[in-house]
Amino acid sequence: MNPVNYLYLSALLFTIGAAGVLLRRNAIVVFMCVELMLNACNLAFVTFGRMHDNLDGQIIAFFTMVVAACEVVVGLSIIIAIFRSRRSASVDDASLMKW
Amino acid sequence: MSMSTAATATLAVTKVDAPTIEYGKLSPILIIAGVAVVGVLIEAFLPRPARYRAQLTVALVGMIAAFGAVVWLARDLPDDHRGSVTAMGAVAVDGPSLFLQGTLLLIGIASVLLIGERRLEPAGGDAFAPQAAAAPGSQQEKDAAAAGWTQTEVYPLTMFSLVGMLLFPAANDLLMMFVALEILSLPLYLLCGLARRHRLLSQEAALKYFLLGAFSSAFFLFGVAMLYGYSGSVSLDKIGVASAGAMDNDALLLIGLAMVAVGLLFKVGAVPFHSWTPDVYQGAPTPITGFMAAATKVAAFGAMMRFFYVALPGMRWDWRPVMIGVAIVTMVAGAIIAITQTDVKRLLAYSSIAHAGFILTGMIAMSDAGVSSTMFYLVAYGFVTLGAFAVVTLVRDARGEATHLSHWAGLGRRSPLVAGVFALFLLAFAGIPLTSGFSGKFAVFQAAARGGAGSLVVVGVLCSAVAAFFYVRVIVLMFFSEPKVDGPTVVVPSVMTTAAIALGVAVTVVLGILPQPVLDLADKAALFVH
Amino acid sequence: MNLAVAEHGFLSPTGAEIAFVLIGLVVLGSALLVVTTRQVVHAALWLVVTLGGLAAEYLLLTAEFIAWVQVLIYVGAVVVLLLFGLMLTKAPIGYSEPPDSAARIPAAVVALGATATLLTVIVDAFRTAYLHLGDDTVGSTEVTGQSLFKVWVLPFEVLSVLLLAALIGAIVLSRSRSRAHSGRKD
Repeated sequence: MNPVNYLYLSALLFTIGAAGVLLRRNAIVVFMCVELMLNACNLAFVTFGRMHDNLDGQIIAFFTMVVAACEVVVGLSIIIAIFRSRRSASVDDASLMKW
Repeated sequence: MSMSTAATATLAVTKVDAPTIEYGKLSPILIIAGVAVVGVLIEAFLPRPARYRAQLTVALVGMIAAFGAVVWLARDLPDDHRGSVTAMGAVAVDGPSLFLQGTLLLIGIASVLLIGERRLEPAGGDAFAPQAAAAPGSQQEKDAAAAGWTQTEVYPLTMFSLVGMLLFPAANDLLMMFVALEILSLPLYLLCGLARRHRLLSQEAALKYFLLGAFSSAFFLFGVAMLYGYSGSVSLDKIGVASAGAMDNDALLLIGLAMVAVGLLFKVGAVPFHSWTPDVYQGAPTPITGFMAAATKVAAFGAMMRFFYVALPGMRWDWRPVMIGVAIVTMVAGAIIAITQTDVKRLLAYSSIAHAGFILTGMIAMSDAGVSSTMFYLVAYGFVTLGAFAVVTLVRDARGEATHLSHWAGLGRRSPLVAGVFALFLLAFAGIPLTSGFSGKFAVFQAAARGGAGSLVVVGVLCSAVAAFFYVRVIVLMFFSEPKVDGPTVVVPSVMTTAAIALGVAVTVVLGILPQPVLDLADKAALFVH
Repeated sequence: MNLAVAEHGFLSPTGAEIAFVLIGLVVLGSALLVVTTRQVVHAALWLVVTLGGLAAEYLLLTAEFIAWVQVLIYVGAVVVLLLFGLMLTKAPIGYSEPPDSAARIPAAVVALGATATLLTVIVDAFRTAYLHLGDDTVGSTEVTGQSLFKVWVLPFEVLSVLLLAALIGAIVLSRSRSRAHSGRKD
């Protein structure tokens, strides 16, 4: 199979995620879009690992997943802290600053 | 192991060969990681009243020990100053990493002194929320403040961040670099949201920093994927070898380069990836702002130099024009937007953006002089910035720090010493002779001019002139206008903030008058291991 | 297409291709829905579909370990955390939150530009590349573990520092001290 197909999928997924980050206003949804981008990276890593016949790609994908899990923990605690202060999870309501 | 056919079967029973790791060479990083873990244990087991002193002592002693380890490692470098690679190729122990790690540790010591300051708030306590989990303005928060609670977890968090910073410029493969990037960032995101005053602003700064930071690290990671796809490895050396000659698949290499650069430029706050800087610098607790402004830049520029010098030296004709453009835009935008600012912290934020442009100028030179001048500039800039933010913590009114510029009018008449020190830092930012800023700017411009980026030097000098205008404007405001009746007062800090400011002043003056020893040291340390 | 899928594939060559296309469409479709749906909870559920689909793609790429880690970490932990986050921030179910119209055009331009660039790059770079599956790169847990603890041991250990830092940070932001201790002073 031509592995390029996997890379197409990865690139599309990455851009969908990036567009979502710019488009959506709910902090948690923005965050989901970042997860999509990270997953696109993982798919690219695994595919490139196959193409180069080495395992590094898969190992890196594993590392990315752990890092993503840490990001979720930190991100959600910040978002929830803000929600408790302001009763809203919308990025737009961050009115004290220009977004 | 003997027969290839049985390889899979034997794997199951074969012990894994232990990887070789020279722990001695990693000792600065290991010490700080140990300090962070001890800090967590202190939080878990010591009674609350004892924690503050214990945390402060452990952090300071640990950083001094780690600095000693850096010096020891630097003395052990071979005579040609080539370093070595350790931990299975993950970490480079060479001149630039040791020089920058030493700088980071000194900045860390001064930052922890600022973080530990407890004399400034009238009601007692430090710059951090008495209880971060309590909603701003709630009864719970008032109770916590009245009870004099503090959150001493900020010390281990700062140390975790420092671990990432020490690893970032030393990372010799892109995976290590990515993990280090996250370790330095995640604690900083949290620390930004912990300010005692203006808590909503602070939390929003944390959210903004976090979302944009996560976005940019996704770009970084996709870039790493592209470079891995191009070269089949994430090791900087191997990417360097692969990118040196090859002509096909260039597009993959270029897009990978660009996306990794986006991630790194975000961290240093270069235009057009700077939009988080003013808001986050303003919202974060001021000691953290100082730490972030000084140390993150040192770490991120270290990583950026290693990336461009080790992995992509063969591509310089492709990335240099773009980076020159970024440097120019960064200097111009930073200097011009700073003129319109009315808040001291935002002013310093835009000034840090402009300085990112000046530092890029040194990096673009692509020579040993470029590396050494950039590292020198980072030392000079780091201590000036830290000192300036330390002064900001002292000027206060009833609502906390008085950061609006109009409040600073006439400060020189009320407290000439504090205003004088701040003026010194501003002059250093502006690059006036006999301050460290001048030596630094001279070094990077010289390196850039020799490296064939003359246009950049011209723009740099012009931007310095524009920037000098708004620095001098603040000095004039402080010394030659009437103080406001209800203006802020200057609080007398404890010995810790005084020590941090004194360190800033000392470095600024010494590097301004006698820069040669440090320049020589940077020259010696300018070789990246390949 | 010239196929060289070896014995280690989970499906026959054509089967793998068909599966790739079908799952790929599901992944893309659900990713689009994550980005566009107006209901926040639905976005999280569509994210599950996307992530699960990606796990299946990893299996097609014979990355067995990664596929299961994907299911465990992403589908099992990350999405559940996100759902908890939605619950705690009381995201209204069925509520339509309009995407910001001001950012829509620049976002679309950026997205189209990025897609075009990335696709061009990949087309240009790999016009002639084909996947040749060798024995040694099959990502079984065993082989992955060997590599992880030999070559990547330092980043792996450093990850534990990252996990600890994230843990402490989350505790700092979220944990209230109980009232019972409120009399004590620091």
